[in-house]
Amino acid sequence: MKPINLAEIKPRPGTQAFFRWRQIGDDAILITNLEGNWLILTVEEFTQFARGESTPDSPLHERLLDKNFLRSNYDVQAASERVKARKYFVHGGPLLHVMVVTLRCNETCVYCHASRANMDEVDTDMSIETARKAVDLALSSTNGFITIEFQGGEPLVNFPVVKEIIEYATERNKEIQKRLEFTMVSNFALLTEEKLQYLLANKVQLCTSIDGPEELHNAQRKLPVSHNAFQAAAGWIKRVNEAYIEIGLDPTLYHVEALLTTTKATLGKWKEVVDTYVGLGCKTIFLRPVDPFGFAERARLRLEYPRGEYLEFYRKSVDYMIELNKQGVEILERYAAIFLTKMLRGEDPNFLDNRNPAGAGIGQLAYSYDGKVYSCDEGRMLAATQDQTFCLGDVDTPYRKIVGHETIRAMVIATNLDQQPDCVNCAYNPYCGTNAAYNYKAQGSVFGRMRDNNVCAVHKGIQDYLFEKLAENDPEVMAIFERWTTIRPREHFVQDPGQTPALEAAEAEV
Amino acid sequence: MSSENQISFTDIPDAIASASGTDRSVSMTVDSELYPLQAVYGASYIFIDRCYVFIDRPAPGSYRITLSAKQSVEEAEALRQLVGEFANELLSCTWRHQVTQDNRVAIETVTVQAIAGAMGEPSLDDLADFDFTDEALDDPLGIAQSWEEKHGRPSPDAKAKTASEPGADEAKADAEEASA
Amino acid sequence: MTELRFARDVYAGEAVDEAVKTWSRFADFALTETEAHWVVQVTPKHEAAARQIIGEFGNFVLGLTVDRGGVS
Repeated sequence: MKPINLAEIKPRPGTQAFFRWRQIGDDAILITNLEGNWLILTVEEFTQFARGESTPDSPLHERLLDKNFLRSNYDVQAASERVKARKYFVHGGPLLHVMVVTLRCNETCVYCHASRANMDEVDTDMSIETARKAVDLALSSTNGFITIEFQGGEPLVNFPVVKEIIEYATERNKEIQKRLEFTMVSNFALLTEEKLQYLLANKVQLCTSIDGPEELHNAQRKLPVSHNAFQAAAGWIKRVNEAYIEIGLDPTLYHVEALLTTTKATLGKWKEVVDTYVGLGCKTIFLRPVDPFGFAERARLRLEYPRGEYLEFYRKSVDYMIELNKQGVEILERYAAIFLTKMLRGEDPNFLDNRNPAGAGIGQLAYSYDGKVYSCDEGRMLAATQDQTFCLGDVDTPYRKIVGHETIRAMVIATNLDQQPDCVNCAYNPYCGTNAAYNYKAQGSVFGRMRDNNVCAVHKGIQDYLFEKLAENDPEVMAIFERWTTIRPREHFVQDPGQTPALEAAEAEV
Repeated sequence: MSSENQISFTDIPDAIASASGTDRSVSMTVDSELYPLQAVYGASYIFIDRCYVFIDRPAPGSYRITLSAKQSVEEAEALRQLVGEFANELLSCTWRHQVTQDNRVAIETVTVQAIAGAMGEPSLDDLADFDFTDEALDDPLGIAQSWEEKHGRPSPDAKAKTASEPGADEAKADAEEASA
Repeated sequence: MTELRFARDVYAGEAVDEAVKTWSRFADFALTETEAHWVVQVTPKHEAAARQIIGEFGNFVLGLTVDRGGVS
């Protein structure tokens, strides 16, 4: 890309209202404003705009006017409404409550050493008493929406406590009447038909991990005995999807989704990764880069990669997914959907790690097996490496002390992009977010430094890609992006506050 | 904070940074007009897990930051990296300091809304537990008492009063020091 | 014995005091002052760990100063 020459353009104050800009192509300059409106201008148009010379009644003037980029006609009320809509989540309180019911795990993953325990370490199981207190704390949240996410280790290892949490929370919610949901992230290897029936009867949304094609998945996720973690997961994905149909759910909306962890070995296999997900019936791929939490330092060299290589992988993968969509295959990339929802709809899908300010403490809490409470799951994983920076107390600590903790205040400030060098001037500011726990781990402070920050590099790279696509304005691609940003709520997974928890389905096995 | 066996970095002016191989330390001198003290604090604090950090004022208008690596440092290149990392962090903190001042109202508004929204209104129990007294500010060890106050105000009464209380040895030492 | 000179317009006197109290298990301290400095003479009680004790003491003073929001 040939960079534009500002010295030649000679920008000066004139008709423009506040804006930020970024070049995204030889003849394509993105401008964005405070409330997240955007336009893509040619170099000639940008030159006029930057010189404050847009001529009334010209097509450019009309476009600028329509998107609130002109000082003399600046619609403060409209801008304020849009900012308010984008930031609706700020005062909501924690909605995601991650419950680590055990650190024990039946699989050994190459990228996860520090935050798991071997199967004989039963002292890393959450107790019933701790579980009940964790639920009490979660239901104390000011948020009317509560999602309890079972994590581990492998949550199925401590299924009695999973059951206890579901039943106790459902019972308590009869009185509290929140919009309660349960989700479970599991490798499925320990799933049984009885456990599945219990989870279905209690409307627990199921999610698993797939690292790509069978060979890669099994190389990264070691499962003792059968030695085929992929088949274990794939078999249950198929079975759960069948079970959803059996109970009358729409399979296009209700199906198992999986999470990908992109390691160095994944990068060359972008096509195989996408094909694997499509083959398993997944409609979403979340191309998450490996993060620095939880794995041993010596594994880093084997797994890590420059973010430029990741972004190449990302572009190839999403290009391929777009091609598949053109052929009628329904598959979307989650990062793209998150950003596009903000860009195209002016809404925020409330993805907690990618909002401004981020969700640590004010949008989520993580409850460790031992009753300690953390600002986020990353904070909990850091504690597994003897760093308690993000510990807010325990399940006996009053709720208001947990969320009013000074660490949360620091994290809210640190993830406010209006205090972040670089972000204050970045054209992607209205759509972006930073992660305080990541910044702390990778760069030594919750603030981080965005210029050499991997999360920033990934966010910028993905948004560059998406705006390039938007600049191309291919109607077929625009229609695909439109579908990717259409959120269809999965109402089935919302617990009926009047309903008694289903106990029978699991009695035979657990 | 002394330096021997000075090492020069070819790409960083001597006036800004110099290193000592024997001390495994490196010093940087920065202009206090360009880099406010709050930014120097911020950048320095980030290095205290890796280094022993000392800040001094070699001359009016400048700060000197000495980073002494906790672990052994084999090569001058590692010291150069410390200087480079510190310089980048210092620049980032300086700019953040400015940006935070510029956007203070917006940042405070969002933070207050986020925390207040998550905490909700206090219950009667919360209010009953709230400490309306100034007792939280009591300071039996005199930690919050300033050096100036202590040195400028010998207190014979304090010596007698604290002799029978926990921490008496330290209090006694303080009192002796104060009257010296 | 090592003499540390903490600039008064960089380090809080209270921070020096508190650090001396905390670290008195590991070193003997003698405190004086000049117009521009808090002067601390440190004699570590464990010679083998002298560098660590002096260095960590310095970091502690800095940390406490930052915690207080700097010099008032």
